[in-house]
Amino acid sequence: MTLSIFYFLSFLAILSALMVVVSKNPIHSVLYLIITFFAIAGHYVLLNAQFLAAVHVIVYAGAIMVLFLYVIMMLNLNAEVEPHKSVWLKSAATVAGGTLMVVLVGALRTSASVGSPLPADANIGLIKTLGKTLYKDFMLPFEISSILFLAAMVGAVMLGKKETK
Amino acid sequence: MQHQDLPSDYFPMVIQFIVAVGFIATTMVATHLLGPKRKSKIKLESFECGIESQGNARIPFSIKYFLVAILFVLFDVEVIFMYPWAVNFKELGTTGIAEMFVFMVLLLTGFYYIIKKGALKWE
Amino acid sequence: MENTVSILRQIPLNNYILLSTLLFCIGVIGVLSRRNAIIILMCVELMLNAVNLLLAAFSAYNSDPAGQVFVFFIMAVAAAEVAVGLAILMMVFRNTGTVDINALNKLKG
Repeated sequence: MTLSIFYFLSFLAILSALMVVVSKNPIHSVLYLIITFFAIAGHYVLLNAQFLAAVHVIVYAGAIMVLFLYVIMMLNLNAEVEPHKSVWLKSAATVAGGTLMVVLVGALRTSASVGSPLPADANIGLIKTLGKTLYKDFMLPFEISSILFLAAMVGAVMLGKKETK
Repeated sequence: MQHQDLPSDYFPMVIQFIVAVGFIATTMVATHLLGPKRKSKIKLESFECGIESQGNARIPFSIKYFLVAILFVLFDVEVIFMYPWAVNFKELGTTGIAEMFVFMVLLLTGFYYIIKKGALKWE
Repeated sequence: MENTVSILRQIPLNNYILLSTLLFCIGVIGVLSRRNAIIILMCVELMLNAVNLLLAAFSAYNSDPAGQVFVFFIMAVAAAEVAVGLAILMMVFRNTGTVDINALNKLKG
């Protein structure tokens, strides 16, 4: 049962990820990417990371992809104005990506396989456990991420605001 | 032993999700089947008479919306750090408050900058 | 407790590693083969998500919450990247009238 859910979600994720790359219309790409993100959220639930699943849906499907959709609709992009690379370049890109995949999979095959998991703690994915780790062990990265947000805000406003002269 | 959360506990959410999607799908299919349909080139035109319409219906809109959307994304991600803090508020004590204070001061500096720059002004 | 362990045992960790590898490589192919800069940014998001999935899988199999905290930071970086990246794209579009990355070849020396 669990394994079949896993295979279904993986199939969905990989298929729609491929559709993101091949579809001509940018809006279709965005919609397929949202399907991929929902499949990944399903994987998080399977992995017992429930808070992560909720946050993933809120942030990626709810905010980031909406922003992408906004920009595509604002720039009025559609299949007709979509720039294309030559078939030669596209096949070269596919070969390069495929080679990377072969190398990675080959490296993983020879590496020692991971044994049975440690006695799993089902409370790992709970918001309380995550909060304790985040605010005790990862204090500095947390503060630095706020500086990152500050920089992103300033950058976006600087670039996006029309100059009023 | 404390309560352990299992993936099976989330089955009601799956059911709700299926019901929500199913309701939308059923409604859309039903309206499609029930409503009368008359498709011809003239019927699909935007206006019955007058000048011929050009281009498609999607027109580019103002950059103002875009800035608001970007700032929404940033503040939305900021909130995911606040849920774990709020849940552990008592245990973290003063350290937690100090951490969050630094975080919020930096973010509100950004917010002050945005307001000062007039990025949210809607003339 | 028993239930969770049995659920995790049913899916080998290698499956998750393989899935993340596949998603990452699809993202790489997308970045290399498309010319629309927005699609390229979306493929970068896909690659970040592949890494997120791998971190969450390792976190679940090792019973270590640190992996899931890393995912939060990656999400923060992704949001910041998207905000600034799309703002730059808007500027490029306003100046060149296209989102084709070949329009940026003026940056060549």
